[in-house]
Amino acid sequence: MKKERRFSKLQVISAKRPQETGQSCHCISFSAKVKNFSVGGSFRDNWGQRGERGSDSVKVTQQGRTRFGFQARDPSLKAGASPFKGGGGICPQGSPHRSGGPRSLTMMPTSSLSFPPSLPLNRVGLPSILLTTGLQYEQDASSRLGPEPRDNRRKEAEPQGVVSLAPPRSRSGADRKKGRRRTGSPIHPPAAGETQSLGGAWGRGRPPPSSSRRPELPLAPPTLCPPLRLRPPPRPPAASQPRGRLLSLGSTVSMTPGKHSGASAGATNLGVGVQGLQKQTGKGWSTTPPASRHHAHVTGKQPQATEPRIVFDVNGDDVTPRPLCHLEHGTAKPSRLLASQEGSLGSEHFISYSPFQNTLHPTMLGQLTRSALGSSTISKSSLSTTESIAEDLEELSYKRERLASFTDLRVMRTTPGKTVTKEELEKTIEIILTETETLRLFNLPTVMVSVESEEAEKVSRRNKDYESLCRNRLGNDLYVERMMQTINGAPKNKDVQCDRIIKEDKGIMSTTWDLYDSYNALELLSLQVKRSTVDSSNRASVPSKDRDQRGPGSTTEKNSEASSLMDIENVILAKMHDDEEDHSDAIFKSEKFHQDLFFMERVLMENVFQPKLAAYRQLPVLKELEPKKPEDFLEGENLEEVQKVVKKEEEEEIEIGAQQSTIPANLERLWSFSCDLTKGLNVSSLAWNKANPDLLAVGYGHFGFKEQKKGLACCWSIKNPMWPERMYQNPYGVTAVDFSIGAPNLLAVGYYNGTVAVYNVQSTSNIPVLDSSESPQKHLGPVWQLQWIEQDRGTTGDDKREILVSISADGRISKWVIRKGLDCHDLMRLKRTTASSNKKGGEREKKGEALISRQAPGMCFAFHPKDTNIYLAGTEEGHIHKCSCSYNEQYLDTYRGHKGPVYKIAWNPFCHDVFLSCSADWGVIIWQQETLKPFLSFYPTTYVVYDVAWSPKSSYVFAAANESRVEIWDLRISTLDPLIVNVANPGIKFTTVLFAKHTDCLLVGDSDGQVTVYELRNMPIVSDSGRRDMIDTLLGLRPNQPG
Amino acid sequence: MAEVEETLKRIQSHKGVIGTMVVNAEGIPIRTTLDNSTTVQYAGLLHQLTMKAKSTVRDIDPQNDLTFLRIRSKKHEIMVAPDKEYLLIVIQNPCE
Repeated sequence: MKKERRFSKLQVISAKRPQETGQSCHCISFSAKVKNFSVGGSFRDNWGQRGERGSDSVKVTQQGRTRFGFQARDPSLKAGASPFKGGGGICPQGSPHRSGGPRSLTMMPTSSLSFPPSLPLNRVGLPSILLTTGLQYEQDASSRLGPEPRDNRRKEAEPQGVVSLAPPRSRSGADRKKGRRRTGSPIHPPAAGETQSLGGAWGRGRPPPSSSRRPELPLAPPTLCPPLRLRPPPRPPAASQPRGRLLSLGSTVSMTPGKHSGASAGATNLGVGVQGLQKQTGKGWSTTPPASRHHAHVTGKQPQATEPRIVFDVNGDDVTPRPLCHLEHGTAKPSRLLASQEGSLGSEHFISYSPFQNTLHPTMLGQLTRSALGSSTISKSSLSTTESIAEDLEELSYKRERLASFTDLRVMRTTPGKTVTKEELEKTIEIILTETETLRLFNLPTVMVSVESEEAEKVSRRNKDYESLCRNRLGNDLYVERMMQTINGAPKNKDVQCDRIIKEDKGIMSTTWDLYDSYNALELLSLQVKRSTVDSSNRASVPSKDRDQRGPGSTTEKNSEASSLMDIENVILAKMHDDEEDHSDAIFKSEKFHQDLFFMERVLMENVFQPKLAAYRQLPVLKELEPKKPEDFLEGENLEEVQKVVKKEEEEEIEIGAQQSTIPANLERLWSFSCDLTKGLNVSSLAWNKANPDLLAVGYGHFGFKEQKKGLACCWSIKNPMWPERMYQNPYGVTAVDFSIGAPNLLAVGYYNGTVAVYNVQSTSNIPVLDSSESPQKHLGPVWQLQWIEQDRGTTGDDKREILVSISADGRISKWVIRKGLDCHDLMRLKRTTASSNKKGGEREKKGEALISRQAPGMCFAFHPKDTNIYLAGTEEGHIHKCSCSYNEQYLDTYRGHKGPVYKIAWNPFCHDVFLSCSADWGVIIWQQETLKPFLSFYPTTYVVYDVAWSPKSSYVFAAANESRVEIWDLRISTLDPLIVNVANPGIKFTTVLFAKHTDCLLVGDSDGQVTVYELRNMPIVSDSGRRDMIDTLLGLRPNQPG
Repeated sequence: MAEVEETLKRIQSHKGVIGTMVVNAEGIPIRTTLDNSTTVQYAGLLHQLTMKAKSTVRDIDPQNDLTFLRIRSKKHEIMVAPDKEYLLIVIQNPCE
């Protein structure tokens, strides 16, 4: 990068007129800027004190405090660049007085900077210099662009070798003389093959034909002051000329100020040439844009300076002006141009000058292309062109040398780059990129013209013109208000993918119950949370897993005091979550569902058994209406018929009612309690619940020792005949059941193995609440009957206590008291005592039987409805003992009449003196309490009578169930034949019978596990009035009966 | 669970029972003895009706609640046992 650095510009910063300083000091400062270094400087010449100046230019430099140095970042350059040492010089020509004598200063350092000191000191000294430089530059730039024409020109001008343009001195006037001297270097004919270099040759030693050759010069209308910039062209790095030649060049090129001043009518030419070295300049012309590399030449053309001259001052010093910098051959044309401009300048009085307003010379048009600035004038005269070309040829060698010398350091630097060794290639090259300083392409400094001067008017006019031009030109910055239609931003469709937007519709209807619920729920939840917090505090150490498993209610009890709300939410969420997980399972397992099923079943049963149930409850049965109804709707025409039918039915009913007397009473089977479980089991006992008349306890179990199967106790509800409400299964057969009176939910169950268990039918569990199986006093034989008795405890009779009494085949009548468990006390031990009437025989028998067992197996008992201290106990012997709870050893009485085991004893509910017993001896006997002999005996069949029951409605009616049939007896009607006989199906034995408490229904249990409900129909109407009388009548039957 | 299944079976076996179904709180049948379309129809409609009935009952007295809903029609009786989380629906032809 560094190697390619070029001068980018050379700027003359200031030039002071010596008059102003009073020391007649001419000070010129300039700077040339290259990309990475700058060449700059200033020199001051004390014009008035010539004596102080050194004899040579070098000296002058020192004396005039001329600082001339290159400031570059490259130290090598700095070191070697002190151009003035090598022969730079400033040669003022003429005295620096105010009269403005022509003065020429030629500086010929190695840098080939020539500087014409012939400033119009009285007026604008500085601009003139700048102007010239600017022009120089312009032309130089333009000249580069047309290499080929220059070739032609060169041929033409070959012999001339020198081009010099002399400004028309006459015009400029004494004080305003401005000369452009081109610090030309002697032109050497270029070597063959080097002809490419096209730069203008330095005019030298030729009489200035410029005046004659440039007739069109006045035509050039430079009006504005051009930018005062000197732009050093880039150096060709390839140039490799020894430095020594440069020095010599400098001498040769130097102009003679003295002659200049004298002969050229005081035209002081200050040539400032900054030569940028160019690599193979000729080639470079066309390719490199002039802006980037250009030669800037300021040349004061000295027409007379055709030959090198040496100027001596008074002291004999050589003051021959020498070029400060070598001008390239390409600068020849610029010089010409400058010269031509000089003329125009003269005509224009040098007020303002603009290079881009120069006209192109027609002859040059075809040859030269414009530079980027496009405004440079092409040399005005073809003559000069030819000259310059000639110079070119001459100069080429010089140029080369100069170039080389100028940039020897750079060359030195560049050369190693060519021979790159491997090491260098591998070496890390540090490249420093630095910002260049401002590159100015155009600068137009102010030009001051005295108001009194001649040109003032012109200048002002031109200025006005310019102003107006600026004002009116297109694209100025005048503010204009305009409406603008801007294009609307083009809409762009973009598809964006995002999460699905969940829409939720929420409708809220707050009803009263809603409010109630939410209020309640809050309370409940708060309670729950409280509880859970307690739990959590208690189980703080419980691992999280356990806590998670604890269930939704207690999942989130951590710091629930603070976050009770959150807890509530979590609880709800957890609940919901759980529900989702095993929704159906949860539903099926829920108790509520179970209950609902239960109710549903009942409802179904109700539908199914509706007529039966109605009949059971003795409600009017709407059996006919339901099937008829659809017909009503379907066939409106048949309405009458239907009505007729209905009427008929009504009539029939009436008839039935009328026939009731005629139609014998019968048993209408309603339904039977049975299910799969009970099938095949023997119904051993029946018991109504004391509180709920619809609840029936049924014990299933076989009586025979060999027939024992599993036992079952069921609670049936009238509302569901198809399935028992409760089932208590037991490996042993159930022989007795009874519901408690005081606590209707307690069901006592006696088993064949002697166990007495008490169940709570309220709970669904099948485990008995009390069990005597562990009791040491439990029965050893089957418990044939159980009964809850409310017994008077004290003398007052108000304090009643319920006891459970059981009778067992082991001959004990026991009283069970519920305290801690079941406490058992024997009420009676049934001994085998023969009838007191036949004591001796009995004793004998007893003795004989005593060998087997001293105890008489008890089969049944019955407490007196009024006096709960008195009870009857039936034994296997066939005796019925009247006992008292007060005596557990003795019988009060013994009723003998049955020849077989007494299976059931029942007091008449109305007449408390009468009781009924049945036995395996096929007979049913009605006893009177006072009479020890049977009052009435019935032996209708030859089958074992298992059960008897008094009707709750009538004191005359009782039912007896023997193996083959159920008989309903109405003693008022007949004591010989049963009123109703219901024969069992073959193979089925009736085992139990029980009247419904509030209805005319009879429940009959059989050996197949069915409890059939019969409705007693057409029973003889019993007048409610005078039941007592009826009892009396019953009792009064007694005398009739035997008869 | 087995008991429930048994009960359901029994119910279905009762006289005149046409169908039994259990519908969850969302009205989605989770158990049915009827064919699909009928079940869906019954479930959807009865769910609404039950909710309405429940709302009615509770509007009258917030402390009250609907426990059972029986719809007697010419052909059937539809019995609904509602709960928060399910409906138990049984359709019966009582005149059978």
